[in-house]
Amino acid sequence: MNRLRGDIVQIETSGQLSIVSVAVSKALVLKAIVVETPTTAPYLKQGNTIAVLFKETEVIIGAGAVAAISLQNKISCTIAKIDTGTLLSKLVLKTYEETEISAIISSKAVNQLNLTVDSKVQAMIKLNEMMLAEL
Amino acid sequence: MITLCVQKKLDGPNGDMLLDLDIQIQEGQFVTLYGPSGAGKTSTLRILSGLLQAEKGKIEVNGTTWFDSATKIHQQPQQRNIGYVFQDYALFPNMTVEENLLFALPKEARKNEITTLLEMMELVALKERKPQTLSGGQKQRVALARALVQKPTLLLLDEPLSALDMKIRLKLQEYLLKVHKVYKLTTILISHDIGEIYKLSDQVFVLENGKVAKSGTPTQVFLNDKISGKFKFKGEVLNIEKDEVVYLVTVLIQNEMVKVIAQESEIRQLNIGDSVIVASKAFNPVIYKIDA
Repeated sequence: MNRLRGDIVQIETSGQLSIVSVAVSKALVLKAIVVETPTTAPYLKQGNTIAVLFKETEVIIGAGAVAAISLQNKISCTIAKIDTGTLLSKLVLKTYEETEISAIISSKAVNQLNLTVDSKVQAMIKLNEMMLAEL
Repeated sequence: MITLCVQKKLDGPNGDMLLDLDIQIQEGQFVTLYGPSGAGKTSTLRILSGLLQAEKGKIEVNGTTWFDSATKIHQQPQQRNIGYVFQDYALFPNMTVEENLLFALPKEARKNEITTLLEMMELVALKERKPQTLSGGQKQRVALARALVQKPTLLLLDEPLSALDMKIRLKLQEYLLKVHKVYKLTTILISHDIGEIYKLSDQVFVLENGKVAKSGTPTQVFLNDKISGKFKFKGEVLNIEKDEVVYLVTVLIQNEMVKVIAQESEIRQLNIGDSVIVASKAFNPVIYKIDA
């Protein structure tokens, strides 16, 4: 599981749902939708430091110019390592701030996108695949 | 509301120990006492039932004082409206199932109470049987039915399921939940089984050395990592297998097996037999109706 620490910078609530924006660094804000509100989960408070969690298998990799896309979380990264299996491959990615995240994608996609170490890619994660954890 | 504010010197595993509790339990709650042996769990139930007298303090149950050291009130066990079930069934061996229940029936009560209980606990077919012809799970159902004959307001359960195998245990947990709801009981259970605690309890008190070390809902008490995922279950690791660049972890949740893909970094501290939380977001699972 990828686990990044950050500060809550914004909370938008409607009914039982909230979209929480977490600044992992100055340049990188990640968003998560959760079935919680600041009333049901007191840790949802602006300025609070929390962890953002997402599974390696839920990361989408885009190479080159990424067209208009609905994904809310886009992280510019460089590939630091590739572990290739028959069906699946594990990519270790580094963001500009040297934060490490991992992604599991199909080995076919690694070939199709010509991904190699040092390739510049976009790691994308859907809003609803992001979990929050209290520290 | 039950207020239990007592002090009692006990013979702990490491010499003298002071049981020092100040606990409040809302009416209708299912509460579990959890903690190592010798922490004072059984003594707490014995003090509540009146089998053991505290040195100092007060016990108040729904407005009635059961014990008050200041005014020297100490109601006898039979005056306290309590059902008590132990790990050993403590049934009368010379009586049938039905006679065991009738023995506990107060004189003024009507016999059809027994019929209702026999039906609810699915004991009708066994009512003429003697305890030695029953299985462990059946005996414990009889013991539970007998504890309910007097319509207690407070049900005390001292590890009632720990001698039973997993399958019977799961079934008996269903009975416990059912009687807790139907009889609107306030139930206090002693258990070491975290899965059981998750399934049954509203609130957990962790006892250590005679004191409450931690309390809250099972999730608050047992879940270290407070994750926002709403699809969250506790289970036991049955198997870990490497497959390509990932690992496949088989987890037993209640009596269902699930599989979770994990990374090497997550596997490193994980062993077969470990208790784990499997979590996902409310957004991911699909739901569909099964034909009855």
